[in-house]
Amino acid sequence: MGELTNHFFSDKSCWLRRIDVRFKMVFLVFLSLVIIKANFSGLLLLFLTQSLVFLASRISLKKTIKDFRFFFFFLMFIFLAQTLSVSGKNLLFQIHLFSLEIHITQEAVATGALVCFRLFLIVVLGYLFISSTLSSEVKMAVTWFLKPVPLIPENRVATMLSLLMRFLPLILQQAGETAAAQRARGVNNRKNPVYRFMKFTIPMLRRTFLRTNDLILAMEARGYSEKRTIKKLSANKLDWLSLVIVIALSLLVMLAQM
Amino acid sequence: MNIIEIHNLVHRFSDGTPGLDGINLTVRKGDFVVIAGANGSGKTTLLKHLNGLLYPDAGTVKVDGFSVKKRPKAARQFVGMVFQDADTQIVGETVYEDVAFGPENLCLPESEIKKRVEAALRSVGLWALRYQRPHLLSGGEKRRLAIAGVLTMKPKVLVFDEPFSNLDYPGIRQVLWQMIRLHKQGHTLIVTTHDLEKVIAHAQRLIIMKDGKLVRDGIPGDLVEELEKFSIRKPYSRGLKGEFISWVN
Repeated sequence: MGELTNHFFSDKSCWLRRIDVRFKMVFLVFLSLVIIKANFSGLLLLFLTQSLVFLASRISLKKTIKDFRFFFFFLMFIFLAQTLSVSGKNLLFQIHLFSLEIHITQEAVATGALVCFRLFLIVVLGYLFISSTLSSEVKMAVTWFLKPVPLIPENRVATMLSLLMRFLPLILQQAGETAAAQRARGVNNRKNPVYRFMKFTIPMLRRTFLRTNDLILAMEARGYSEKRTIKKLSANKLDWLSLVIVIALSLLVMLAQM
Repeated sequence: MNIIEIHNLVHRFSDGTPGLDGINLTVRKGDFVVIAGANGSGKTTLLKHLNGLLYPDAGTVKVDGFSVKKRPKAARQFVGMVFQDADTQIVGETVYEDVAFGPENLCLPESEIKKRVEAALRSVGLWALRYQRPHLLSGGEKRRLAIAGVLTMKPKVLVFDEPFSNLDYPGIRQVLWQMIRLHKQGHTLIVTTHDLEKVIAHAQRLIIMKDGKLVRDGIPGDLVEELEKFSIRKPYSRGLKGEFISWVN
């Protein structure tokens, strides 16, 4: 999962990396729900806490900004959409565009800012999670969470999940290579999008299936079966302490709302 | 003692094309065997029969005295295979996890897995890169990782399918070093290639395949003049006494 960000804590020297993945998943879901319900003061408290976690995790700010550069545009777009679409009583200013009169109200700006703030905090939360978690750990947690669910083969689901994470970059790379090879042979001169789509999809799928076949053989050669050693997850002091902190923080956010 | 015994092996692909046609072959324990042949001669198909990735349409394949068809799981543990494309062989998200994949499939206890992974990674010189993501490794390192992944299953026979393809000169030397070392440790090595130059100096036996048949079998020096006849490039690096020159010297 670290492949999705510009950096990844490869060893376990970072404390965030050492927290049990099951706890991290619960924190992610729980805090996301708290963020959705929180008001400005609550969000500010969560922002300060996330900033502290961010600083303590020694994540490079420069790399993070690079990762977030497109997301900021997205947030800006959401802010504008909210500001222009929400109505209110307290007029802030008016914009005259040709024959159109656009009213920007205090309520609209506040709603836009609140939505963006919430979205930003949830994405940062997810960013901290993927920066500090291996897909194999997510696989272990999924296996653990799915174990009590009847009729779902938890080991198979977990393996499929981990293979998807492992091969997604390879498939994307393959798609890039196929597209480049076709551009080199002048596919851009063909204006028909259906023709271009077909010419791209068929070789791309063919190569993906061939690669999948190779992968199956390689896994079989190494004796793969669903009955295998599964690493055991164990909670330690740090995990329980983090849980207490997350619960206390959530209560504080709720209190700030009153 | 024969570690591999193949009798009248016949294999046809699903569309009816003949893949292997009446192969008879025995390999002694501790041998370093090179199987050469042009593309489509049946080298990879033959290797896949050694650990039950393919089964014979006729004939028998035995490793260490037991039938591969009857005990494929045991065969896969006994014969470790390093594939041509290392990228598709790597399944782990980190170097460590990838090497642990094999012993996890053997249902070994975690402590034993840890021990085996460390030993394998140290032996191929990748222990320092254990937390690295595999796709960031060089071609030679990826091939060494594939070797480590196989070594953790403690196979007696190691099978390399075109181990030098897509590798630069340092990558070839790294992989060749590992192969020589593993042979010295007592492993039986079977290597397929269409480019003999890189490995011929270390081979004790050369087998030539053509159109799914085993057409020559002997000491490399005796067969070298016939190679071009079978569309295999003749190795030209020879010393003053006519011996083949190693790529690792």
